Amino acid sequence: MANEILEEHIQNEYKWGFTTDIDADEAPKGLNEDIIRFISAKKSEPDWLLEFRLKAFRNWKNMVEPQWAHVSYKKPDFQDIIYYSAPKPKKELASLDEVDPEILKTFEKLGISLEEQKRLSGVQSNIAVDVVFDSVSVKTTFKETLAEKGIIFCSFSEAVQEHPELVKKYMGMAVPPTDNFYAALNSAVFTDGSFCYIPKGVRSPMELSTYFRINASGTGQFERTLIIADEDAYVSYLEGCTAPQRDENQLHAAVVEIITHKNAEVKYSTVQNWYPGDKDGKGGIFNFVTKRGICLEDNSKISWTQVETGSAVTWKYPSVILKGNNSVGEFYSVAVTNNYQQADTGTKMIHIGKNTRSTIISKGISAGFSNNSYRGLVQIKKGASNARNFSQCDSLLMGDKCGAHTFPYIEIKDKSAVVEHEATTSKIGEDQLFYCKQRGIDNEKAIGLIVNGYCKEVLNKLPMEFAVEAQKLLAISLEGSVG
Amino acid sequence: MISIKNLHASIGDKEILRGINLEVKAGEVHAIMGPNGSGKSTLSSVLAGREDYEITEGEVIFNGKNLLDMAAEDRAREGLFLAFQYPIEIPGVSNINFLRTALNEIRAYHGQEEMSAKDFLALVKDKSKLVELDSKLASRSVNEGFSGGEKKRNEIFQMAMLNPKLAILDETDSGLDIDALRIVASGVNKLKSKDNATILITHYQRLLDYIVPDFVHILYKGRIVKSGGKELALELEAKGYDEIKKEFELAD
Amino acid sequence: MSLIAENKSAVTQTLLDQLQNNASKVAFMPDSEIVSAIRYLEDKGIPNNKHEDYKYCNIEGILRKEFKSVEQSFNALIPEDIAPLKLEEAINLVVVNGNYVSALSEKMIVRGLTVKAFNELSALEKNLLSSQAKSESDALIALNSAFCGNGLYLEIENANVIPMPIHIIYVNSGNGNCVVNTRSFIRIGPNAEATLVESFYNIGNSKVFSNFVSEKLVEENAKLTCFTFQNEGSLSYSVHTNQAKIFKYGNYSNMTATLSGELVRNNHNVVLAEPNCEAHLNGLFITQGTQQVDNHTLIDHQMPNCESNELYKGIAKDKSSGTFNGKIFVRKDAQKTNAYQSSKNILMSDDATINTKPQLEIYADDVKCSHGTSTGKIDTEALFYLKARGIGEDTARKLLLQAFAQELIDKIEIPTLQERVLHLFEESL
Repeated sequence: MANEILEEHIQNEYKWGFTTDIDADEAPKGLNEDIIRFISAKKSEPDWLLEFRLKAFRNWKNMVEPQWAHVSYKKPDFQDIIYYSAPKPKKELASLDEVDPEILKTFEKLGISLEEQKRLSGVQSNIAVDVVFDSVSVKTTFKETLAEKGIIFCSFSEAVQEHPELVKKYMGMAVPPTDNFYAALNSAVFTDGSFCYIPKGVRSPMELSTYFRINASGTGQFERTLIIADEDAYVSYLEGCTAPQRDENQLHAAVVEIITHKNAEVKYSTVQNWYPGDKDGKGGIFNFVTKRGICLEDNSKISWTQVETGSAVTWKYPSVILKGNNSVGEFYSVAVTNNYQQADTGTKMIHIGKNTRSTIISKGISAGFSNNSYRGLVQIKKGASNARNFSQCDSLLMGDKCGAHTFPYIEIKDKSAVVEHEATTSKIGEDQLFYCKQRGIDNEKAIGLIVNGYCKEVLNKLPMEFAVEAQKLLAISLEGSVG
Repeated sequence: MISIKNLHASIGDKEILRGINLEVKAGEVHAIMGPNGSGKSTLSSVLAGREDYEITEGEVIFNGKNLLDMAAEDRAREGLFLAFQYPIEIPGVSNINFLRTALNEIRAYHGQEEMSAKDFLALVKDKSKLVELDSKLASRSVNEGFSGGEKKRNEIFQMAMLNPKLAILDETDSGLDIDALRIVASGVNKLKSKDNATILITHYQRLLDYIVPDFVHILYKGRIVKSGGKELALELEAKGYDEIKKEFELAD
Repeated sequence: MSLIAENKSAVTQTLLDQLQNNASKVAFMPDSEIVSAIRYLEDKGIPNNKHEDYKYCNIEGILRKEFKSVEQSFNALIPEDIAPLKLEEAINLVVVNGNYVSALSEKMIVRGLTVKAFNELSALEKNLLSSQAKSESDALIALNSAFCGNGLYLEIENANVIPMPIHIIYVNSGNGNCVVNTRSFIRIGPNAEATLVESFYNIGNSKVFSNFVSEKLVEENAKLTCFTFQNEGSLSYSVHTNQAKIFKYGNYSNMTATLSGELVRNNHNVVLAEPNCEAHLNGLFITQGTQQVDNHTLIDHQMPNCESNELYKGIAKDKSSGTFNGKIFVRKDAQKTNAYQSSKNILMSDDATINTKPQLEIYADDVKCSHGTSTGKIDTEALFYLKARGIGEDTARKLLLQAFAQELIDKIEIPTLQERVLHLFEESL
């Protein structure tokens, strides 16, 4: 019964699949040291940063793409990608009014109206947004408001110019330029991204947010985010992303680094909605992202929450290195795959300090012909006494043509550690669906209810506005997936 | 209200309902009794639209419409309510959210506007008193971690909220202690009106001490073999099902 | 890169050359299998820790370090060597250095039971060999297929229930370092039932690399209950592969107790090939010194309505390490699968390591699958409670560890074997 209805339903159209016509300043296709020098020169970077890039590139040339993930795709041709595509600035931007109106329209379509953000500026509950368009940061709102508190929130390029000492000190600390194939590629060619520094003792008065958008065709997106929370600082950081609907696969290889000092806390939430390809698996983003945080000092905390509904192929393991004593790492994830999407995602929790704690809650939902894998590593190093980890990985299957997989690695070298891992796989309950129907709730709504209930532990961790968006996104991603 | 004619239903190769005829009018309470395996729960499932069964013959007219043509959710929207024998747990979905969704779906079906949050909460408060349901249960996940009695009371609470035309109570008395039974029965009695009807499906006479039926039917081997007034239930209680079995074994 | 590749094949090549020089002229596997085995070995080499499946178990490293040159000179054993290894309530069969030795085995006429050496097999029976364990799936299987001795073939004919356990004693005894490839084939015919004990020993003062492969067929409505007793001692490095296939309504269970062995790698692969069959895999290990125990299980649910259960427990002391890597694979057609897997471990020392990797790979939607794993220290609350009742720390600790292992020890239904396991387990605490 389920299958017939499954076939019947038409794939939900990707609602964010428009492109924007704006003048872009592009580098020629391909990758070599000249391109890297071109990017670096374009951005008037200091020599040390060019060296950082070249070192990463030289290493990358000797690296191979990772093969271990449970995904299969046509390997991108790295010489057939445009590594630099920046919207041409018409002139220096003094206010939002001067942002390219086409870009503004794009953001309106995305539902983040900067105009409105601006009008409402000063309202405490608002969110400061940095928008990154084809890897180039366009405009950061609320910069002045934040500056009063000493918070630096700006584009990565700006940070390189204005705060080189901070960038130089922290960049590459959590994700070394040679960490893995995609991180090395990013380190060589990244064009922009976001930078955030919360000074000692400051709790960010608002949520900071970045929206990423890939626009130009034939380009890859290689942005970098660097977040530093100094002693006793706190910030909640949000990341959203969309891309136009294109037949080709586009590569997104980002790096996000978080560093927390003593007693600091960073909460990083992502709603990832890159274009997943069409219902036959054509097109879509290859999302190969390295996200890692270091709890550098005692009592600090890093929490990753992600709702992954987009991308054709996802390869992403937001991780925490628990170096400081009593530090805490958390990973809450919902990953939905439908049609021909493939996701291999999870986390790494590396316990080094004493009394470190980590929690992993992962909820995978597979529908259509998709494959959804959880892959995680919990490592308790020798001397990490009294480390604790609890992991729970649940998978929900909708239909009999998809796959749900769990690959947890647990390595323990300290006898005082307590590590628990639980996982279950089940299908959406026919009885639950019938119960809902008997109360007058139709199939789609019932699935929405049940799936949101199933993901509740994770959705609860998202900031309010994001949680609402995520819930809608879940329902849309699964439309027509069960009869 | 509902008119069931020669209803046959089977699961796989096995025919479970073998020609049910039943007429229920507004304002009436009917009790359907029968031994285990006689097809009582099948009847309620078939009426509510569970898809595990195949209807091989017969028709069911509910408020002038062909019930068997309708999807399960539309039957509910038309005013058919099933109090489940084993209410399912739905983790993470709060009772309140669940009911609000259901209520508004039903309202939308009838072209009514969504109920405001304020009115809805007032209604919840009002109706939860009816079955003495702890208000804390309303904010918990649907049936999750509820005791057997709480689940059954929750069913009646939902019935009160959705205000159906026809309520089918499937073994609602099973697993209830005497106090819970009294609460559930009084809830049902209070919801009774001249415009709605109730079908009680039960194994024991016990429930009928609290909810007095106008008609009693005995279901055996997929057919209603005997109908009568409330005294039939007492007779059955006195004689036991074995008498019935003996009497109708030959008819098979 | 190229340097590593050369090294890799160098270790394999040295081993192949030495084994080929010493190999008997008789081959027991079908010719085509031997060809593909050698080809696979030359192509892939013996796995090291870069190989995902051998991440915590570097076989190539062991061979390079301990078995660079092998003597392949063996001791013959006499009945007195075997006597203490026997189980009194069982039919005892003996395989020495990879060869079935009829002279040391007990002859008992039991209806439906056939025991033969590989060289006594009919053409039909011979064709069964290597039908389950394929060279192209694993280098150690390939190594075994290419060089195995005159192994043991055991068959229970249709509808026979063997009233007593069958005990196969696999014993190695080298004169100088050696590599032994031992093989067996067990076939339980339709409606038949048997209990099988497989024990592993090493006698003497030489290091042995023991590469064991057993193929097991459990046919329609048949039942095979296996107990594996591993006590090969500190000179032994072993890889044991059990490849089982279960047909409809079949029931296969195995309980493995690992009590010694410097390196013990167990590959337990079960294919649930037809509907309504079940498999139960259990394991208990206690490691000390620099021992490494690496348990791998793979349960392949191919058809609907099958059930699998796994429970593995381990205790790691000193500088030892224990691994549990279990995969439940549910194929597209395997609807209504119930699969449960649990792994529990206790670390007794800060120098010990426990690795676990419980995996689910699921392609059918109407399934109930779950796994759980936990690793921790001994329960300090319980320890305190016992101490508060006047029990010394050491005794209390032993009591708790024994309690931890008890549910698995209880599964060993053969009294003499259970005693043997319990005794060695207590000694290791």
